[in-house]
Amino acid sequence: MKVFVEVDHIDQEFSLPNGGTYVALRNIELKIQQGEFISLIGHSGCGKSTLLNIIAGLNRPARGGVLLEGRQVTKPGPDRMVVFQNYSLLPWLTVRENIALAVDEVMSNVPKGERRGIVEHHIDLVGLRHAANKRPGEISGGMKQRVAIARALSIRPKLLLLDEPFGALDALTRSGLQDQLMKICEENHMTCVMVTHDVDEALLLSDRIVMLTNGPESHIGQILEVPFPRPRHRLEVVNHPNYYSLRNEIVYFLNQQKRAKQRKAQQTVAIARNGLEKVNLEIGFVPLTDCAPLVVAKEKGFFEKYGLDQVILSREPSWKVLAEGVATRRLDAAQMTAGMPLAMTLGIGGKAPQPVVTGLVLARNGNSITLSKRFYDEGVRTLADFKAAIARTPDKVHTLGMVHPASMHNLMLRYWLSSVDIDPDLDVSLTVIPPPQMVANLKAGNIDGYCVGEPWNSRAVKEDLGFVIATDLDIWNGHVEKVLGVREDWANQHPETHFALIKALLEACEYCDDRRNREEIVTLLARPEYIGAAPEYIRPGFIDEYARGNDTEPEMLLRYNQFYIDRTNCPYRVEGLWMMTQLARWGITPFPKNWIEILERVQRVDLFGAAARDLDLLDVEPDRGSIHFFDGTVFNPDDPIRYLNSLKFKRNVRIEEVVIDAMPAAV
Amino acid sequence: MTVLGSRSKKSSKLGKAMPAVTKYVVPPLVAIAVILVIWQLIFSGPDANLPGPITVLQETWDPLIIDPFFDYGGTNKGLGLQILASLGRVAIGFSLAAIVGIALGILVGISPFVYRALDPLFQVLRTVPPLAWLPLSLAALQQSDPSAIFVIFITAIWPIIINTTVGVQQIPQDYRNVAKVLRLSGPKFFWKILLPSAVPYIFTGLRIGIGLSWLAIVAAEMLTGGVGIGFFIWDAYNSSRLSEIILALVYVGIVGLILDRLVAFVASKVVPEEQKG
Repeated sequence: MKVFVEVDHIDQEFSLPNGGTYVALRNIELKIQQGEFISLIGHSGCGKSTLLNIIAGLNRPARGGVLLEGRQVTKPGPDRMVVFQNYSLLPWLTVRENIALAVDEVMSNVPKGERRGIVEHHIDLVGLRHAANKRPGEISGGMKQRVAIARALSIRPKLLLLDEPFGALDALTRSGLQDQLMKICEENHMTCVMVTHDVDEALLLSDRIVMLTNGPESHIGQILEVPFPRPRHRLEVVNHPNYYSLRNEIVYFLNQQKRAKQRKAQQTVAIARNGLEKVNLEIGFVPLTDCAPLVVAKEKGFFEKYGLDQVILSREPSWKVLAEGVATRRLDAAQMTAGMPLAMTLGIGGKAPQPVVTGLVLARNGNSITLSKRFYDEGVRTLADFKAAIARTPDKVHTLGMVHPASMHNLMLRYWLSSVDIDPDLDVSLTVIPPPQMVANLKAGNIDGYCVGEPWNSRAVKEDLGFVIATDLDIWNGHVEKVLGVREDWANQHPETHFALIKALLEACEYCDDRRNREEIVTLLARPEYIGAAPEYIRPGFIDEYARGNDTEPEMLLRYNQFYIDRTNCPYRVEGLWMMTQLARWGITPFPKNWIEILERVQRVDLFGAAARDLDLLDVEPDRGSIHFFDGTVFNPDDPIRYLNSLKFKRNVRIEEVVIDAMPAAV
Repeated sequence: MTVLGSRSKKSSKLGKAMPAVTKYVVPPLVAIAVILVIWQLIFSGPDANLPGPITVLQETWDPLIIDPFFDYGGTNKGLGLQILASLGRVAIGFSLAAIVGIALGILVGISPFVYRALDPLFQVLRTVPPLAWLPLSLAALQQSDPSAIFVIFITAIWPIIINTTVGVQQIPQDYRNVAKVLRLSGPKFFWKILLPSAVPYIFTGLRIGIGLSWLAIVAAEMLTGGVGIGFFIWDAYNSSRLSEIILALVYVGIVGLILDRLVAFVASKVVPEEQKG
């Protein structure tokens, strides 16, 4: 489709009284199709109204320009009519005269009678017949905004610009007007750009939502496509399965911007204290039961015990965002899925390698594979039954959710499916969904099952939406699940801090595995700032018997969440090697020819050992033996490439030298 | 509870029993009576410099009070006629000031260049006392009547210009944006947006202007002579008719008040409802 409006690399600057310049907008580039509804969203002061005024032609940009149908916008004009935030009706004219003023001026070549007709039509369009002869001072805010919309529509603009049109209205009036605007826009195929700060309004009305970062130098942070079909209805939109994940994405963006603003205000430089390079750490986590060591270290004072007295735990909406947070230095450290440090170091999904190290395993086990209750009703009890069920409906795509390509969930789910010759890419479809959204997606029927940590399996079981077909105790008991990950350069710059962090978390892990403490930990985890789920969803497997939601009795699984016992915390190299084979097997990362070098750099057994010795705990790495899997295969760590070649299902495996020292030395 | 109840009942009763007339007319009447009594007491002695109120009434009753419109020829006319003559001058001078002042004010308000050029001039000129213009205008115009009118004009014009300028400059950006987006033509912008938007400011200027003109006319007429309330006062002083001066002052005060209220009344009819306050 042809581009209708092109915002071409706009910069906007204002001069300051002290002689400097304030750069409000930097390099804004946006193409708008005809008939599209675009929302601009961002915090106040991010320059969204400035951008709108530039499109309207009311302000000229410092650099760049706006093209409407290929022609440059140099001054305001009626082809880009604006609905202003404060209505901007002329108070000395009646409703009818206000609309007529626009129509008479813009359509002066149309006969007078016809112009009258247009005015009357638009008065009716917004339902203001009874108030046509009233002045703006005599009507309510909602009615005024209706007049402003009628005035804007009456002159048939090519592009309608709305500056927080409903911001000053009460909720009821607002929703009524939103519906009206949506109807008019859809009927007339209007192209609109709207500035708003209302997330729901943006989702309801827009085809695309353009999110602007905070000023100065505000730019487009993210553009969100809103896929809801048109014509839209409020209720259908709200009940759309993607509604909340889209909404979360916007809210997350805005929160992140807010945090960035606060951070800027606080001027977070590293606070060095207690013999550590930095005590004000921001540590990312994803709300899951096995974030317990972080929560315990924070709430029970283990961080403070080792001098880290300003730790902030940052609840991340997804593993992807968490990984970006570490890569972009927003987070100092994070609880990562087991494969993430290796995958980031090798360069995941075509990204440049970002060396990440782990000196501590935070948790083992704790995952399950849940399938929709529908399969249970069809008689699916085992993996073989599942395979048969898939085979029965070959024309249906069966979608399974997992949390991140480099998570054990993905690798184990794929391994488990492959063991009965289900190709995880061809026979089913795997999709990445953040853990807290799994249950909602299962309920909405978007996915048929998933592999995730607790409490998101127990929740589906308790709500009778799904049943647990396998726990990871059935697949690989004692596998590595969550690790502490930091950037390698961060670790090099903050050796003492890193060491203190490992010791604090190691002690917290020990605390978590004392079952006397578990009741207390559940109440900590249930808090809204951590998991925010009801304790009865967290308890199964963690304290209580684990219910699978099938005909088996709930059973005690003492190893279901393993934080300390049986040498949990050592970032054992053989496991790392196996994960690398799997990452390469599914085409997520290349397999490094220099795998020994990579393992030495990422899996920092030495750091774990030093910390453990410091705490008088057992510091030895488990024996360098083979791993035996439930299906009888054996992984021999001395010949990973042969193992890789022996696997039946695999994607395009790349085996290459991975050079990660091209990165600049620690800055 | 009962106390409260009875009190509120009482106050509401009181409010009803006291209509607006008593509420707003009685207190000033009482104040006037008290002042008159004090005045009478102070100046009742045999060697008082000024007449007391009773003397004033006695001396001016016939013919000044009972017949404001007598005309014995020359400047010997009733106070009504004297005031009408002064009002006539004010009407001409003030109307000219209004026309020129509003036009100039709009011009200055629209054009930042003209504003920068003329505003310093206005700021200096407006501080020149009205009577300081009189010798100059007498010299230029050679006649007393046009000179008095010129003084009125020059006195009233500054507040009108300055307020109109501000009114035009203060047209809300929203209205300007509407005009820009619709590409309103010049005349349409003037009549539909500029003028209605500046009207409240213009009337503020007019109200200040009319007050100043009335102040200036009395002083100007004292110097120029002829029929008019100012010369009447001066004449009375020269003939030591102090009671007449006092009576004339009462008239001047009342007429000034009426003029002010008249402009305010016109403003209330012309200024759009939403623009008030």
